Amino acid sequence: MSDAAPWWSVLAAPALLVALALLAVAADGVLSARAAGRPFALSAVARPLLEVPRLLVAQPRRLPAPDMPLWRIGVVTVPVAAVLSVMVVPFGPFAVSGLSVGLVWFNAMEVLTWAGLWLAGWGPNAAFSLVGGYRYLAQGLAYELPLMFALMTPGIGAQSLRVGDIAAAQGGLWFAVWMPVAFAVHLWSVLAFGFTGPFAYPAGGDIAGGVFGETSGPERLLLSAGRWLWLAAGSAMAVPLFLGGGAGPWLPGWAWSLVKTVAVLALLVWARGRLPMIRADRYMEVAWVVLLPLSVLQALVPALVVL
Amino acid sequence: MNELSAAVSLLVVALAAVGVLYAVSWWSRVSAAPLSAPPFNSGREPAEHAMSRYHVRWYPVTMLFLAFDMEMVFMYPWIRVISAVGASAVIEMFAFLAILLAGVVYAWREGALRWT
Amino acid sequence: MDLTAALLRAAAARPHVLVASMPGGTPVRLALERELRLRDLPVALTPADADILLVAGPACPELEAAVERLWQDMPAPRRRAHAEDPREVGRAVANARAGLARRESAESAGAHERAGGEAPRGRHSGGGGHGGGGDDMDSPAGLPMAGQGPDRDGLTLDRLHVSLGPFLPDWPHGLTVRLTLQGDVVQRAEVAAPPAGGGPAAASFWTQPWARATAGERVQAGEAARRRAAAHLDSLGRFLAVAGWPAAATSARRLRDDLLGGASRESVSPRAARLARRVGGSRTLYWLTRGLGPLSAREAAAAGVAGPAARADGDVPARYRLWLTTVREDVDRLEERDPLDPARHEPPRGPLPTPRTPSEALSPPRTPPAELPAPRTPSAALPAPAAPSVALAAVLPRLLEGAELAAARLIVASLDPDPDETAALTVGTAHE
Repeated sequence: MSDAAPWWSVLAAPALLVALALLAVAADGVLSARAAGRPFALSAVARPLLEVPRLLVAQPRRLPAPDMPLWRIGVVTVPVAAVLSVMVVPFGPFAVSGLSVGLVWFNAMEVLTWAGLWLAGWGPNAAFSLVGGYRYLAQGLAYELPLMFALMTPGIGAQSLRVGDIAAAQGGLWFAVWMPVAFAVHLWSVLAFGFTGPFAYPAGGDIAGGVFGETSGPERLLLSAGRWLWLAAGSAMAVPLFLGGGAGPWLPGWAWSLVKTVAVLALLVWARGRLPMIRADRYMEVAWVVLLPLSVLQALVPALVVL
Repeated sequence: MNELSAAVSLLVVALAAVGVLYAVSWWSRVSAAPLSAPPFNSGREPAEHAMSRYHVRWYPVTMLFLAFDMEMVFMYPWIRVISAVGASAVIEMFAFLAILLAGVVYAWREGALRWT
Repeated sequence: MDLTAALLRAAAARPHVLVASMPGGTPVRLALERELRLRDLPVALTPADADILLVAGPACPELEAAVERLWQDMPAPRRRAHAEDPREVGRAVANARAGLARRESAESAGAHERAGGEAPRGRHSGGGGHGGGGDDMDSPAGLPMAGQGPDRDGLTLDRLHVSLGPFLPDWPHGLTVRLTLQGDVVQRAEVAAPPAGGGPAAASFWTQPWARATAGERVQAGEAARRRAAAHLDSLGRFLAVAGWPAAATSARRLRDDLLGGASRESVSPRAARLARRVGGSRTLYWLTRGLGPLSAREAAAAGVAGPAARADGDVPARYRLWLTTVREDVDRLEERDPLDPARHEPPRGPLPTPRTPSEALSPPRTPPAELPAPRTPSAALPAPAAPSVALAAVLPRLLEGAELAAARLIVASLDPDPDETAALTVGTAHE
């Protein structure tokens, strides 16, 4: 199904991802304006973007004996990995690359955030940041395995690791319908690797922003961008895996992909504010004892079906 | 486009965007002289460097995680051959998973998933 | 076109504000939080992210060094403002924003302060250079490396000394708890002596109706109920923010601001009920906080804690649920016109000490000196009644030790001592 994409797709895919992330930021701006009781104004949509000029003019800061190279690498890794992850996500019939192991690629890019956020916490040589970096590792140990099974379940259904094939295999019935656990775990984990909402644990306000605490200027911009880009990338990935990709009546494939991605993204942005921050010390047990066996059982369902 | 060149060009595009961001910030920031500041310690001076051997009490979970993570390496190729190999593929894979899950249950009973 | 100037103007439209609230500065802080919420100016969590430092309340000499520390650590462009009175808040914010928009002032302010700030902290100036490269092996960049110490299991582990307070987001500003951390586990916690208030000796904002009633003034019960509901909502706002639930924290704070703005019972009551359902009924929040910081009624009484923290007789969820219940009851009593009877309706954090010599009220349940371990079993002798927040701060070390950093913050937020109460007492001592 995934046709060979034109060369300019390497520019279009990141641009689209950034546009989706901006849309999420705008939606979040409107939601928080409503929650804060501000009268509705169109500016609420754009105001969060004033962060960009604010961080661009900031004077650089130098902490005592920071690990500058590792800090930079960490901060840059998070958004760059998010951009790389969408390489395999088909948009309608097109993907930047119809990689035969697309599922593994996405998973690998997502795991890069482990390194990125830990380095972002280690680099500044600050106690609260360090705690934040380690918090992400603990959170990763909890969310990662259920997520891996959730990504694999549609792969089993389609007997392929190519994301385009998985989307095409849902001709009759979306995988979301008969793999609801995998779909829910995927969405839940998008919040986790986006370290946002209930999974803002590594960036918690209780440790003064954690991995964000000592960042300013472009570093802070990149790390925040990484957050929203991952939210968008995770939403985009949910569409070919669980929601039939670009399939749908009347509209062309790319339009359906867009509509479905925006819908998933809207759901996630809304869900961010619904729950308190989940600490890994409480979540670990639930993830391993409840979510993991459920995900394995869910993986068994398509395995029996395709036999 | 072949897969490697797609990945490399996407990486180049992403890094170029990061570079542009740094360049704009370098160009537009109000002062190039870095502000030297200690890390935030609630308004007090930090007592020591934060980089230290960090005591992670979820260490046993990392071992458990490794076991499962290695298992995933078997699962990826397995996905491609389920119907070709037939029922034995499913039985063997899920028997293997069941053994691992038994390990999780054991670790759970031993309290490895709890540390507070 | 001048890019920087244009960006500065844009940035000044939504600067992040770092708030430093002084003892006795609660009304100013409340006005400020309301202003920031309505104008969509985010609160900065650390100096690195701050553009404006706003000092709220009467200047406090003891906290001046900490305020200066925050200010020195903020990157340019930055502005600093001080509001001593709630009415000054709007103007202070507006002036600071206007200053941020001007290029010359943004640059000069940064440059000037940098020059001025370098000297007194020479031990950090070596940090400017090359990551990791140090002056000598033991203390690169003029700071020692982390030392080691035994943990509760007898292991020798690196430990870090981290201060919670005086200035930390969603923290009772002025309170300082010095932690010794191993990993993110609190191995030891010490509460520092509270700063004396810089302003005139006055009752805390939250206990004013009771103080006035004790002084013989006629105070309506409804007014006290309104104040107590707002006080609990203020505590809940902090607690929910620490629990990482900003949306719920905003609801609590909006309700608090509306109550203090004189909203009627009809308009507030359904919203209080909704908040109580959403927060009190949240299984997730309960699951995340249950078992943390248990304080039985007996232990509380022995430590001199009265009021809701003692009546909750339990862990963190018991305490926040009691706050929610009290808020709902108080909201129903907003229109009561009977005179306030302090014996029947206590102040938000428990009964106030009978006005004797303030030093006596302050002393008994204070934390032991740093050298002594905190007593595990409180002494049999019942302490004399002290300001409730003094007793609340005194139980902290015992509850925090062994907790994780996140849990420690939740425990403090669920007890929420009011630094203004302690400051009011200390001022009294100083003036005698």
